[in-house]
Amino acid sequence: MILTGEQIEKSVGNGEIVIEPFEKNQIGPNSYDFKLGDKCLIYKNTELDAAKDNEVIEIEIPDDGLLLDPNKVYLINTFETMGSNNYVPVIRGRSSIGRLGIFIDITADLIDLGSINKWTLQLHSVMPVKIYKRMLIGQVTFWVTKGDKILYNGKYKNHESPVKSFSHKDFKNTSQ
Amino acid sequence: MILTGPEIEHSLKWGDITIEPFNKAQVNPNSYNFCLLPTILKVSINENNQSSYETIEMKEEGYVLMPHVLYLGATKEIIGTKNFAMTLLGKSSLGRLGLFLNATADLGHFGSVSQWTLELSVVQPLRIYPNMEIGQIAFWAQQGSFTGYQGKYLKDLGPKTSKEDFTNYDSNR
Repeated sequence: MILTGEQIEKSVGNGEIVIEPFEKNQIGPNSYDFKLGDKCLIYKNTELDAAKDNEVIEIEIPDDGLLLDPNKVYLINTFETMGSNNYVPVIRGRSSIGRLGIFIDITADLIDLGSINKWTLQLHSVMPVKIYKRMLIGQVTFWVTKGDKILYNGKYKNHESPVKSFSHKDFKNTSQ
Repeated sequence: MILTGPEIEHSLKWGDITIEPFNKAQVNPNSYNFCLLPTILKVSINENNQSSYETIEMKEEGYVLMPHVLYLGATKEIIGTKNFAMTLLGKSSLGRLGLFLNATADLGHFGSVSQWTLELSVVQPLRIYPNMEIGQIAFWAQQGSFTGYQGKYLKDLGPKTSKEDFTNYDSNR
């Protein structure tokens, strides 16, 4: 079951969902529209390696926007701190954003219970397109769970700015 | 309703979910991490929509996926369920490196028990490795009576190309 907008608002009110800052006019019928943060990470190298620590450059999104290059991945955090210990968040782009060919996640739309922070979005565009900080970029939906809960305690916990991939940490027990 | 990690484990014990081999360390709060089979297919599609492919056996040093190319991989695990809908997704660690795990075909064939075919593509060149944890699967409770999937990918083992048949396709049917 998916929460309605009204239920999202109630759950923010009673603390079951965190959306900070929360703006009532960003509620949709069954989702909440969130904004893009200010900081962006871009990988230094063109070729990346899942087993290595890939170096990044951090930039601030300029006031007059950032032109996305279709050949690159951009890691940008959400403006809002979001998450829940009770409902599973699923994110997606707003249709106005999808119509511009912008992906806001790269097949990683499901957020773990207990992952309450500024989420790192994985932006990628089909064509060159300009984005702006604080623009409404995506939507979050919340889903009722079945079964006992365990909360996220992984490598991306408690971040306030975009975080690069820690994929290499999953390889620590292998030869890589 | 989405199943929590403990509920996924519980359902395995009851036989409502199959994940073989199963490793408790790969259970997440609301999903399960699966691994990549060493065999991947580099796909070419001709003007008749027929797929041909080159088979790549990844070695320990891995393999670099290139942008603008479709590769088909498969889950190392045999995954299926009698009772739940399944959705497939990548891991955020790999999404952050620009790896797509599916091409907007994330809803599983309910009733199939198979090594899932993954539609791999990358934004930037990316080296991946055999047997690495590559994605996640989530399970969802259903509403309504059901008959399971009986289609063409029911018991797939290893990556499989599209079986959609476009020969004599009638666009005006």
